[in-house]
Amino acid sequence: MVHLRLIETSMEFKPDQAAQKQDFRQMLVDLAKSRDKKLFMQLYDHFAPRLKSFLVRKGASEELSEELVQETLLSVWRKTSSYDPVKATASTWIFRIARNLWIDRLRKEKPDMLSPLNSYPEVGYTPSMAACDVGRLKDALDALPQQQAQLVYKVYYEGKSHREIADDMDMPIGSVKSGLRLAFDKLRVRIGGEP
Amino acid sequence: MSCNHHPDDSTLLSYGAGSLPDALAMVVACHIAACSDCRGKIADAEQIGLGLMEQEPVQSMSERSREWMLAMLDEPCEKSMPEPQLAVDYDSNGDIPAPLRPLIGQWFNELHWRTMAPGMKQFILPASQGKLLLLKIAPGTFMPSHGHSGSELTLVLKGSYSDELGRFSAGDVADIDPEMNHQPVADTHEGCICLIATDGPLRFKGLVPRLLQPFFQL
Ligand SMILES: [Zn+2]
Repeated sequence: MVHLRLIETSMEFKPDQAAQKQDFRQMLVDLAKSRDKKLFMQLYDHFAPRLKSFLVRKGASEELSEELVQETLLSVWRKTSSYDPVKATASTWIFRIARNLWIDRLRKEKPDMLSPLNSYPEVGYTPSMAACDVGRLKDALDALPQQQAQLVYKVYYEGKSHREIADDMDMPIGSVKSGLRLAFDKLRVRIGGEP
Repeated sequence: MSCNHHPDDSTLLSYGAGSLPDALAMVVACHIAACSDCRGKIADAEQIGLGLMEQEPVQSMSERSREWMLAMLDEPCEKSMPEPQLAVDYDSNGDIPAPLRPLIGQWFNELHWRTMAPGMKQFILPASQGKLLLLKIAPGTFMPSHGHSGSELTLVLKGSYSDELGRFSAGDVADIDPEMNHQPVADTHEGCICLIATDGPLRFKGLVPRLLQPFFQL
């Protein structure tokens, strides 16, 4: 299980992360007022390398990843005034921007009219937890049966649809869905969401 | 609007991860405009994605990227980036859900519906992955019984229908297990408008001939 090993080795718990979360939120709020480039570059230094490795994992080339990282953080710079600290943590907000730009890029390769701005409307909701506890998420992933972990991997890292996963793993779509359902339940409990 | 039938958790997980084919994602977007339960689950799925991202070993950016970033901050916005459409419940400005309005306007009765068969009209929407269409079913009309080869999501936008799984009213989503056969029938006097997404063209090629097959009315 090459995929599983990738998930496992990638998890290094960084104890200082949880402490930094609140600061990022405040930094974004401050940035909207001050437009302080030094402050922005602190966000850049933290998020750029993380976003890059995430996009590379999703299958983007080094070059494309860096381009999308720059594009994401430029959006962050330009849209700070629309950031609402009550609705999302800084990282969630930045993650959404990166995800949507990535989807947008995939779609540009095909002629179409839907954009992520259509199918990913900004919805006003509060995440179920203030900050993601990376250590607990790792534990929860480790505790998943191998097949469920592989399904989660294919959804998040390979960007595959249920049908594509069913084809890859030679199993019925119904089993893909029930496996993901079970995994989601367990992960939600462990990260603090309600099952 | 209260919803009794929701997308499967596996569908919400994939939506949050950004991995749902866009036709299916649009159906989810229209449903969550009216469903806070599902919005909460999607937030959890996003948190999981974020957690996965944050535990990645970092990959340093190339040497000059910092410099370029700083330079870009001073550039004026060439084209103002469109603000994401705020998802709202259906309102007095139209009966079409907000996420669809930039594509097709405000009102269902202003659409150029095409008749597929007596009692059944359709309007096809653009999608890059999968097929997306609006289906308008006259009261009492049965759709031919059909199964699925891929994922199919149906969101009721107006009226209601019933099938083997129960009754589906405005806001409800049928996240149909592909192994299941079902035969929906529009069961109220006003008829029924649904947004239907399927995953993959092969699936759709099979559906159209079936929809055009002889059908019967109550
Ligand atoms: Zn729902």
